[in-house]
Amino acid sequence: MNLFVADAHWGWWIILYFFLGGIAAGAYFTATLIDLFGNARYQELARVGYWIAFPLIVVCGMLLTVDLERPERFWHMLFKSEIVHQARAEGWPTAGGAWKTMAHAFLFKYWSPMSLGAWALMLFGACSVLSCLGSIWPEGRLSRWFRHSVFARFLQLIGCSVGLFIASYTGALLTATNQPLWSDSNWIASLFMASAASTGVAAIAVIAHSRHVDVEPGLRRADLWAVFLELLLFSVFLVSLGPLLKPLLFTLHGKIFVIGTAVLGILLPLFLLSPLGKVASGRAVTAALLSLLGGLVLRYGILTTPPEMLEHANTLRSRFAQEIESAKPFPDWPQLPAGFKFSPEDGRPRGGGPGADPGNRSADFVPRSKVYHEP
Amino acid sequence: MPEAVGFYTDTTVCIGCKACQVACHEWNDLPAQKGPGRRELPLLSGNSYDNTVSLSDVNWRHVKFIEQFSTDLNRSEAAWLMMSDVCKHCVNAPCLEVCPTGAILRTEFDTVYINEPACNGCRDCIAACPFGVIHMSTDPNKLVAQKCTFCYDRLQHNRPPACAQACPTQSIRFGPIRELKVAAKARVEQLKKQGVAKAQLYGADESVLGGLNAFYLLVDKPETYGLPSNPKVPSRSVPISSFWGLVTAAVTALGMLFAFRDRTRPSPRPGGTP
Repeated sequence: MNLFVADAHWGWWIILYFFLGGIAAGAYFTATLIDLFGNARYQELARVGYWIAFPLIVVCGMLLTVDLERPERFWHMLFKSEIVHQARAEGWPTAGGAWKTMAHAFLFKYWSPMSLGAWALMLFGACSVLSCLGSIWPEGRLSRWFRHSVFARFLQLIGCSVGLFIASYTGALLTATNQPLWSDSNWIASLFMASAASTGVAAIAVIAHSRHVDVEPGLRRADLWAVFLELLLFSVFLVSLGPLLKPLLFTLHGKIFVIGTAVLGILLPLFLLSPLGKVASGRAVTAALLSLLGGLVLRYGILTTPPEMLEHANTLRSRFAQEIESAKPFPDWPQLPAGFKFSPEDGRPRGGGPGADPGNRSADFVPRSKVYHEP
Repeated sequence: MPEAVGFYTDTTVCIGCKACQVACHEWNDLPAQKGPGRRELPLLSGNSYDNTVSLSDVNWRHVKFIEQFSTDLNRSEAAWLMMSDVCKHCVNAPCLEVCPTGAILRTEFDTVYINEPACNGCRDCIAACPFGVIHMSTDPNKLVAQKCTFCYDRLQHNRPPACAQACPTQSIRFGPIRELKVAAKARVEQLKKQGVAKAQLYGADESVLGGLNAFYLLVDKPETYGLPSNPKVPSRSVPISSFWGLVTAAVTALGMLFAFRDRTRPSPRPGGTP
């Protein structure tokens, strides 16, 4: 656990993005699975799933943009800004030669979850808008094109895969840092995946219920499965922290995170969905609403705990010195092959070339300087 | 290509004069740190002679004062460690690795530089940096990630970084890494001969992020100086995280698939095509 880092200030915009992005992805891949493999009588549920995914992913895009310190530069995630500026100066798009420069502007760092996620969101947006169009009406031309044609099947397969990716990459994004808690477990991506499934199914359940759509028994079974997986993965996540669970539970947000997620998002919905929950009326909708609330608490807790840990870093270091020292990754498997490097930066020798630098600089690039380059 | 250059900071000769901080502010036109709320100046920290407290968007150098006193009444044993902290310009730089905009560059001198016009303020670099070096500018005209540039503009004109030039005790030494490492190893040997058993180098070899281009000579364990002993390259966790994420995705999808394969009441699909 590294308590010497600075706070990244990922606050409510990101918490809401993680939460709503999870719902959008979960609802979308559930809908595609119903369309691809499910019984025809659940088609109405799939429609609801597509309705949820597209508007939410638009909101997610807005949240991510607003969170940037420079929102007008959101496109810098996708293209090398300096190369684009150079191409513009060369006369792009009218000048033919400038297209050659523009061809190098594509920016994609596969080893950086944020870079990968930016492109995945674009692709997911495209899939979800078409699927949403195809599900506005249950029949008709749009429905045939975007839900029941061969193209639609292809779209659903791509969309389902990207949806599964969107559901979990945010967890890998947190792990690929040096922040306390986030970088101490390799299971956040899996946990987010399970939570996306349970919140996605829950969102479908709430809307389907309000529209009196026939959901039994498929949706309840899906919900039960998703919540069960969340229970399993939340347990594995806590175990994976090992001795670091103590400093986590020492913080207020850590307590909210662990207890809130376990009780609201997992145990209560599981109870309501099990045969024991028959005593409660409207249990499916209550379970779904609790799942959604639990999903929000999970994102809130996981994002607000490290800043609190950093605020009390000295206390944690002195109180839990032994736990911090003895923490080991769990499980230490699968082991990566010896010499395997996922990114060009890892293992780069001193003076060994650009590494992970994608070369985002124009031909006349000069560093800023108050002395040499001021007019 | 010029040779890789760096800083070798010998903390044993640092006197805490903060000339490096002043020189850095001067050269880079950095404003004074503001206080909390509307205060123009920061409050006194109450922590030794350190009122800079940490590296920040306007403090790219920070002299740490670490007071070590024994707990007996007379404080019979006392040590006062000082260390001028700065961006480490890592050989395997976490910030550069994760930056999704390509705003963080590696220069021809092997240092790490933030190109401000390209940064959009996503703050992934802040989360990735294991040393808490990078901070967002609060200047409304900037609002981008800020850190030591290793005086890239000075290097391009064959001048040493401002801090190294200002350091009166040569605690901060600038030069080709190859030469600095030789000098640092000799100094460790000398200190050990003098009885400083804990003398050690931090970041001179490849063990910390492939090596640090700003490496240190310490006389206590790295944590005492606020340096993590085992920082990680962020991408290392991506394959394993993704593997378990994929397994979970497959298991989730499989369960969903069975949940909706209900054969009790089949009905024809609307739209015709199965």
